[in-house]
Amino acid sequence: MAKVHFMRIAKSAFIFPVLLVSLALPCKLHAQFQAPTDEELKMTADPKAPGAAAVFLNVEEVTDDPLHYHSYYARIKVLTEKGKELASVELPYTHGEFKITDIKARTIHPDGTIIPLQGKLEDLLAFKNGDKQINRRVFNLPSVEVGSILEFRFELRYDDNHFSSPSWEIQRPYFVHKAHYAFTPFKAFMPGLQNATSTYLTDEHGNPVHSLIWWKILPPDVQVKTDVAGHFSVDLTDIPASPDEQWMPPIESVLYKVLFYYKSVSNATEFWTSEAKRWSKDVDHFAEPSKPIHEAVATIVAPGDSDLDKAKKLYKAVQALDNTDFSRRRSQAELKQMGLNAAKRAEDTWSQKSGSREDIALLYLAMLRAAGLTAYAMKVVDRAHGVFDPSYMYIGQLNDTIVIASIGGKDVVLDPGEKMCPFQAVSWRHSGAGGIRQAAPGPAPANSPLLPYTANQLTRTGNITLDSKGAASGQFQFVMTGQEALSWRQAELRNDPDEVKKRFDNWLRTIVPDGMEAHLDHFLGMDDPDVNLLAMVKVQGTLGTATSKRLLLPGFFFETKGSHPFVNEDKRMEPVDMHYADEVTDQVIYHLPADLAMEGAPQDTNIPWKGHAILATKTVPATGQITIARQMVRGFTFAKPEEYQDLRGFYQKVAGADQQQLVLAAASSAGKGN
Amino acid sequence: MRGWHLLAASAFCSLTVATTALAKDKPVPAPDWAAEAAKTPTPASAKDSAAVILFDEYLITIDEQNHAVERERFAVRILKPQGRGHAHCSIGYDVDEKLNYFRSWTITADGHQLQAMEGDFTDHGAYSAPVLLFTERIRTVNPPAADPGAVVVCETEAHLRPYMFEENWEIQSTVPVVSEALEIDLPPGGHFAQSWDKYPAVKPVETGANHLRWEIKDMPALDLENIHDAPAWRALAARMAVKWGDAAVNGTENQWRAIGLWQAQLEEHRPDPTPEITAKALELTAGAPDLYTKLSRITDYIQKNVRYFIVASGIGGWQAHYAGDIYRNRYGDCKDKTTLLISMLQAIGVRAYYLHVDSRRGIIDPDAPSLAGNHMITAIELPEGENDPRLMARVKASNGKTLLIFDPTDEETPVGLIRAALQGAYGNISDGPDSRVLEMPVLSPESAGLTRTGSFTLTADGALAGDVTEVFSGDDATAERWFIKGNDSKTVHERLEQGLGADLPGLAFKGFEFHQEADLDKPLDLDLHLSAANYAHVAGPLLLLRPRVLGSHARVVSDVMEGKPRKYPIEMGHPGRWRDSFDITLPSGYVVDETPDPVSVDVDFASYHSTVTAKDNRLHYERDYEVRRVEIPANEAAAFRRLQVAILNDEKGTAVLKKQ
Repeated sequence: MAKVHFMRIAKSAFIFPVLLVSLALPCKLHAQFQAPTDEELKMTADPKAPGAAAVFLNVEEVTDDPLHYHSYYARIKVLTEKGKELASVELPYTHGEFKITDIKARTIHPDGTIIPLQGKLEDLLAFKNGDKQINRRVFNLPSVEVGSILEFRFELRYDDNHFSSPSWEIQRPYFVHKAHYAFTPFKAFMPGLQNATSTYLTDEHGNPVHSLIWWKILPPDVQVKTDVAGHFSVDLTDIPASPDEQWMPPIESVLYKVLFYYKSVSNATEFWTSEAKRWSKDVDHFAEPSKPIHEAVATIVAPGDSDLDKAKKLYKAVQALDNTDFSRRRSQAELKQMGLNAAKRAEDTWSQKSGSREDIALLYLAMLRAAGLTAYAMKVVDRAHGVFDPSYMYIGQLNDTIVIASIGGKDVVLDPGEKMCPFQAVSWRHSGAGGIRQAAPGPAPANSPLLPYTANQLTRTGNITLDSKGAASGQFQFVMTGQEALSWRQAELRNDPDEVKKRFDNWLRTIVPDGMEAHLDHFLGMDDPDVNLLAMVKVQGTLGTATSKRLLLPGFFFETKGSHPFVNEDKRMEPVDMHYADEVTDQVIYHLPADLAMEGAPQDTNIPWKGHAILATKTVPATGQITIARQMVRGFTFAKPEEYQDLRGFYQKVAGADQQQLVLAAASSAGKGN
Repeated sequence: MRGWHLLAASAFCSLTVATTALAKDKPVPAPDWAAEAAKTPTPASAKDSAAVILFDEYLITIDEQNHAVERERFAVRILKPQGRGHAHCSIGYDVDEKLNYFRSWTITADGHQLQAMEGDFTDHGAYSAPVLLFTERIRTVNPPAADPGAVVVCETEAHLRPYMFEENWEIQSTVPVVSEALEIDLPPGGHFAQSWDKYPAVKPVETGANHLRWEIKDMPALDLENIHDAPAWRALAARMAVKWGDAAVNGTENQWRAIGLWQAQLEEHRPDPTPEITAKALELTAGAPDLYTKLSRITDYIQKNVRYFIVASGIGGWQAHYAGDIYRNRYGDCKDKTTLLISMLQAIGVRAYYLHVDSRRGIIDPDAPSLAGNHMITAIELPEGENDPRLMARVKASNGKTLLIFDPTDEETPVGLIRAALQGAYGNISDGPDSRVLEMPVLSPESAGLTRTGSFTLTADGALAGDVTEVFSGDDATAERWFIKGNDSKTVHERLEQGLGADLPGLAFKGFEFHQEADLDKPLDLDLHLSAANYAHVAGPLLLLRPRVLGSHARVVSDVMEGKPRKYPIEMGHPGRWRDSFDITLPSGYVVDETPDPVSVDVDFASYHSTVTAKDNRLHYERDYEVRRVEIPANEAAAFRRLQVAILNDEKGTAVLKKQ
């Protein structure tokens, strides 16, 4: 379906209740329906978008802020049955702030027949909570068939005492032949009138608004144009469909777009300097080591403790609090009835023994400071959702707070708001993440460090006893550190142990060979994030296949179902983001029945991708047993598109190596082959 | 919350919202019934549950116009963190259902009471998909202090749709229920009827004049979370339908007839053909040599030219649009598509009927008449003596009519066939006084399947290259066609590549071509061209390869495969026949040392046979898998396991080549 994205009202926060001079200007001419060309009518496929279900022939978005409307226009060619889904158009909007008007639509058949949209258009509730209400206008173009051209336009209008800058979400799931975007800003931001405006327009902090800024992700040869009258426009042709590749960075960080916003600063350096100062001041206010915080710290640390011990003890204390991002957020009504308030200072969080991840991170900061340590806050992007871009002057890019403490002369990065995250570790979502941090010279943009592969390890060691028909039983010990352990520990915060065990068993099913059952016996260390998480696993079933002469077993127990990334994707447009580096080590000892011996085994392997990753395997036969070890170290987190073929080649070799088998034969004959 | 509405899946639309009482100011104490319910101890049977419903009581008050108001009182104790979801009470409402009030309190483990206030309630559209233009809304509470140990209570009251005279009481949940009740308060002289499904009938107690109460204690949970390939949850869950007004007739057959008559009255004149419809139907069928061709041309027209798009408000959830409007707009929902089909068939002198079904087998129980069901399809009356073998989905009704079952909403199943979910299921045909429940046919294995042939060459380094031809028929072709239709060619390519890649690590997918995608009455052909490095593996002097190059019939039914006791039937998919035939030319210098043993399993509901043979420098793999039933009872789980073990072993089977 064609989904129209409106400007991000909440994000841009440019709905100011200001008094504006009534603007009695004539309406501009909007995009009119246009007659299709013969070529468009006859088109059955698009060489510029091979295999596409539909293509946009034209897209036009025009925003006229002085006249308080955004107009939208689209012309779509349907090329396959799937493309018909674009005939259903959904227009979400903020009820009470905007109105959708002047919806016009028509379908044009390949023979030129025109069928206009008729009838009542529904206005449906999408969501309502308190005063917030999102509605959607929905219509369905009539009589759509493969080959049809769909054409529609509508306007989004808002009141005279609002103004709204556009967000042009240019790249969409379908190829676009031609797109035109135009913006006439609020009159005061057009040349020669800035001073007059800034006297009564203010931003969310009360600062006079005097600049119109835009942030863009565009192809290299495309620019935002301005004319002498202060109008903005972007014209593009042949916009590819939005990319969809495995292990991509967050999609919003790569799609073409232009976002306009009115600001009280005129450049990014100025913006981030002022935002960082304001944020830092707020942090210092919340995290002030006040008397109650000092008193609390005194009950936790001893005067003779080292800085490291103090930091550890305080970390443990704040991690023990109810972290509402991992339990349950409390509504205003609940807080009120419980006689509680939203935390305004760190001591509120401490006294209530409960807070959000943000509150708890700042409480930890306050406690470190009260304990005499030098410590700073850092506000970072959550890498699961975005990539920090300092050229985009929007502090809402940054989601979470981590803490940097100076311990023994070194900066130590901590993630106290991430429940069950070990001391001196961070969630991958906060690693390699851009943001702003406090520092001695003052707050400034910064990046958190990436996690090394040694921080995220999974080691599976086990013994399997076989009989001559392939019946197998044994047990494994899984040792997990870093993200793997964090993920299971956090699962147990939101579920009871039985449920987590069930989920672990479900995961085991996806990695053990067909014919084998695996069940978690128990975890060790689940409640203590500072120790390795151990999972004791029992396995049994039929491993491999028996023939009249041999028993054929998978060479690598946990890789028979292994689906390696990138193996089947021969081209790459976007960078690779694998979240974090890691190391997986397996060692399986097969105990053989007396009548069988090894006839063939996986070859010892060393497959490197220099500087990035390596797979090493080794088979060690001994009397009555065979040990097969496999170690995969992935030292990289990101890869550039130009590195892709090397990366893919590595995983293809790994996939091939992992399919090797272990061949056992009658002890009397096995040796002959070796 | 359970059981707020009958026909949740086919509950259709609403437009305006009545004022509802939400707590805006000061909280008030929970009512006495709630405080009492919260004292109910957690039964031992709930020890493994995430939550337990302590109390759930409905009161339906019916006035002399047979309009009903329903009140529900509900109390649930959260036992585990993941049980919080059971405490998010919700209620659907639409244009015809005024919501009088919705209140909720939480009583914490230490007895503290908190009331949900206005900001704790959220309204949202019942359906968010753009093809579903419903006006129905759902209100949900996010209760305060909903932590393990707490009891959340909810109380609602709403006017039911004035044109509905039935309510389904869903007496089973995914968690245990300690105490539940349904009360109806009838007007003077009013009467009721009841039907029970998956639960023995409970006798009501007359607690006052025209006031009846059914009560059930200690209903166990129906938890299918780790039960694989079970029928739909709702097909197994206990429920009761209570009817009043004209729907309240005695006897199973009479109740089905009343439902059919009600449906007929709703759709009266809707299918009347307009001149344009008649002209189109005649144009489509002109020169058709037989009935099959006539039906095929009309159904194909509707399948290809009428988009699925629901525009429904209030009664529109049950009542189709007029055929003329549907024809003009070229879109509609299942009722609309059936209406247009009935209309076009009427125009050429073929009689057809509305058949109310559910898209999940087992929901409609012939012994428990009710409006439960979420889909409308068509029953086409075949003339006596019409024996065209292509019209497979036929059934003989008890009134002697031969009916061909067809689903016009299913855009990829040709006339003559029905998809698996409908096979063996029941529906209610709307045929005036002859309205009745009808069992839909289970088709023969020859109605569907896949024949795959492949020819490959293996090299000494283990690389495999070759071509494969796949011929899909019946439900298999339907599934493929839906996939092709719903995706662009890039996605189709990726899906094929992923599927092949699972069998062939190191795959280099060279290309594919589909043939006859649009010709529903023909099989769907697919040609694949591929190669795979590392297909065979060197192990010392041996070269190991899997003769079963592609495709799998092994099923993940872990509870059965692990030997756990099975209580519920096993869904088999659909009847069909799947055949593979692969030839692999071996590299010179190697001879076949060993091949997997033949596999042959024949059970009541399926058979599986495979062989691997070696001749000269060629390895040949052949298998034939046949499924004869759509569902098997739990007591055949052992046979199912035996079949699956055989399939699994066959699919893993390895041939050993030895260097000469």
